[in-house]
Amino acid sequence: MTSVLEARDIRKSFAGIVALRDLDVTVEAGERVALIGPNGAGKTTFFNCVLGVLRPDRGTVRLNGEDVSDLRVHERARRGIGRTFQRIELFAESSVREHLLIAEQTRRGSGGLWKDLLGRGRPSSEEVAMCDAVLELLGLGDLAEEPIEHLSLGKGRLVEVGRALMTQPRLLLLDEPSSGLDREETADLARTLRVAQDDQGFAILLVEHDVELVASFTERAYVLDFGCMIAQGPTNDVLRSDIVRQAYFGDVEPRR
Amino acid sequence: MTFAASVGNDVLRALLQGAPPGTVYALIALGFVLTYKTSGVFNLAFGAQAYISAAMYFKAHVEWGWPIVPALLVSVFLLAPAIGLVLERVIFRHLRTGSSVAKLVVALGLSVALPNLFDVLAGFEAVAGRTPQGIVPDGASVFYDPLGVYAFSRDELAAIVVAVIGMVALAGLFRFTAIGLQMRAVVESPRMTELNGIRADRVSAVSWALSSLFAGMAGVLIAPRFNTLAAPDFFNLVVVAIAAAALGRLVSLPRALIGGLGLGTSIALVNTFLPRWSNDHAWLRPFQENLTPAMPFVVLFGVLVLWPAIRQARETTDPLSGVEPPPPSLAAASRSAFLTIGTRVFAVVFLAGAGLVVMTRADASWLFLVTQAVILSTIYLSITVITGFAGQISLCQGTFAAIGGFTVFQLADRQNMSVLLAALIGASIAAVVGAVLSLPVLRLGGIWVAIATLAFAYFFDAVMVKFSWVGGGNTSLLQGTRVPRPTVGPWDMANDRTFLVLAVLVFVVVSIAVIQIREGSVGRTLRALRGSELAAESIGISPARARITAFAISAFIAGLGGALLSIHQQNVNYGSNFAPFAALFWLVLVVSLGSRTVEGAAQAGAAYALFDAILLKGALFGWLLRGADRIPGIFPISAKWRFILFGLGTLQFARHPEGLVELNKRRAAARVEAVRARRAARRQGEPVG
Repeated sequence: MTSVLEARDIRKSFAGIVALRDLDVTVEAGERVALIGPNGAGKTTFFNCVLGVLRPDRGTVRLNGEDVSDLRVHERARRGIGRTFQRIELFAESSVREHLLIAEQTRRGSGGLWKDLLGRGRPSSEEVAMCDAVLELLGLGDLAEEPIEHLSLGKGRLVEVGRALMTQPRLLLLDEPSSGLDREETADLARTLRVAQDDQGFAILLVEHDVELVASFTERAYVLDFGCMIAQGPTNDVLRSDIVRQAYFGDVEPRR
Repeated sequence: MTFAASVGNDVLRALLQGAPPGTVYALIALGFVLTYKTSGVFNLAFGAQAYISAAMYFKAHVEWGWPIVPALLVSVFLLAPAIGLVLERVIFRHLRTGSSVAKLVVALGLSVALPNLFDVLAGFEAVAGRTPQGIVPDGASVFYDPLGVYAFSRDELAAIVVAVIGMVALAGLFRFTAIGLQMRAVVESPRMTELNGIRADRVSAVSWALSSLFAGMAGVLIAPRFNTLAAPDFFNLVVVAIAAAALGRLVSLPRALIGGLGLGTSIALVNTFLPRWSNDHAWLRPFQENLTPAMPFVVLFGVLVLWPAIRQARETTDPLSGVEPPPPSLAAASRSAFLTIGTRVFAVVFLAGAGLVVMTRADASWLFLVTQAVILSTIYLSITVITGFAGQISLCQGTFAAIGGFTVFQLADRQNMSVLLAALIGASIAAVVGAVLSLPVLRLGGIWVAIATLAFAYFFDAVMVKFSWVGGGNTSLLQGTRVPRPTVGPWDMANDRTFLVLAVLVFVVVSIAVIQIREGSVGRTLRALRGSELAAESIGISPARARITAFAISAFIAGLGGALLSIHQQNVNYGSNFAPFAALFWLVLVVSLGSRTVEGAAQAGAAYALFDAILLKGALFGWLLRGADRIPGIFPISAKWRFILFGLGTLQFARHPEGLVELNKRRAAARVEAVRARRAARRQGEPVG
């Protein structure tokens, strides 16, 4: 069976400084994988290379076996990558439901100028129902009509997740989903993601600083430091390894 | 041998000939870069400032008969820096954290408002035949020929000398004075300079004064090249200077200098050699006469589109700039059903009443104005789509409209095609042009879209209009670009009232289409892109496709409206209707009233056509007092106030990008809702909170 994501030999440098050094990352279908590392390790840069926001200097990105290295962001998104952002990126002037509707209509290709002009640009009841189902799943059902500007950061993150889910991704890239959330909200988010994953069967690649979340949520982990892959393997083993603790926590005293 | 010698001679002559305008371009380009780098303002109002100094000099020297030196002192050394300081202190300092697009819009408004404001305040009126004079006596009539190749007029020599002095003085200031050092530092890195405890405000004020001085100087120096002083010519000049500055990537002062000189001389070179090639190559001939004036625009467009480095020069201003607060939701979305129905009923009653009065009682001139208002509203809907929905500032809407107008002229007048069919074809051609244009332009983003579309508009103006298959060529000079009125079934559109009905119908249909687009998938997609391009892409939206669509829709609407306007006037009247500077006012008007709603476009159309007649000429008072003879004596007020008021109206764009109409609608709605809430509370006997 082919992997959902197969990134080979990804190298990226900015003005001579190597941000990613020949990374290999593989994510299998339905897996939950963490990508961790100290600030500036290159995690978000790697995400951007996978999604096509940045072009790596060399290396290939394969999605479900297909080489997407030369495709643009929206083309890769249509091949099954969903993403949330470290600094949330929402659409001003749109309601919560509209965020999901835009994604849903884009996925179906159901919009279009001529339909708009004929008065059929409004979303179908089926599309609305799909969006509302996801909103319910995320616990945003009551907020569907709210303008996005009225939402808290935590709810905004959930909207981002919902928007990404509407594209029915095979792979969901989550960029620090817990930043700005309190413990309870983080736990809620993890629970919701599990439910959605059971439902849709996508794989998750998670960039996260919250070690608790990483430990409880992911099965495997990759550890980056200064653009180099310094460790990989089952999450709990990785978190315990000395080299990781040194890079990440700055201490080598074995704990417990 | 002789051939080579003569070519060498010609090159030398072209270089000499290009030097005087080249140095003046360089002067403006320097000032332009100076303001752009120290305050982040892409100051399109530079042309207006140059115009004011040139007009003041003309007024003092020619009309009042002052000697040259005091006239120069007042117009260039006092007035120009004073204007710069006022602009910096009163307007642009407060916009420091505004987005670059907001600053650009304000500068656009100023370039419309300032020349008219000066004309009104100083009582200045350009009179054809009274040509501007240079800064030396007998400037235009005494010639020197130092090398035996090209005879410089005294004016030209003076321009070179003064421009060189100005540049040397700037170099000296930069090199030897403290403020010069600080300015250089700000130019290099405004943020670092502020962190080092230098007051960037003061530096910015000084550089505004200085660059405005340069603008004023350039205005006075270049004025003798024009027959009559006219603000559009000076605006044109600043676009040329942007081209020169663009050659220096907008950041480097020395390169801007070289860019200006290079532009001046390369224009002269093309002027010299193109006629010869076109003797051998017939296809070049139409370009020969027209390419020279268009050179700067071609250069500007080429630099923007082909040279990616220039786009990276943008993030050089305040660290907070570009952080745009999201525009508030439309008033219609926040007000209650009661208020919505109330406003709609009022609008319908008002419009029906006005329509009834117009259809039964209006005379020919009022009919003309009302029809014009309706058609312009249609054209302005194109700005609603591209600026209001897609968030792009396009300055070539006049060109799209002109394409519609010229197509009707060509097809209906020359090919005897049905007029309305020709109008639709014209709109479609405009849509195709818009889509093709958007391909290179839409990658630019931000203010560069505005500048590239402006360059395109000027290119069309300088080259395309002159072609026989577009603007009619020589025949149109004699006969005008005639456009017939159609006959549809039993209705003869030669009747002004019938035609007004057609115009209203078109407006209604286009309005409905625009609202459908806003509420439909295209509108949602454009909103998403404006909110976050990255996030929109990450859910599979293609930004290129969405923007091409927006450009094409907008161009189609503009083309349709332009065709209609030409049919209405039975002539394309390119110069007064669609020329780049005339169309600039459209954007200013729509943006200052409201670029996101159909009402905004309609009010802008009404303002353009009727503001002058109803308010400034005092007709409103005539109606209220029941008698045209009772209009108070202060009327008519100069029509220029229209440009001043709406030009200055853009000042609120930075804070309220939704426009004056929306702003006030939202406030009024909030007030009414507050009153209703209080009443409801009282009725329930609860204490008022």
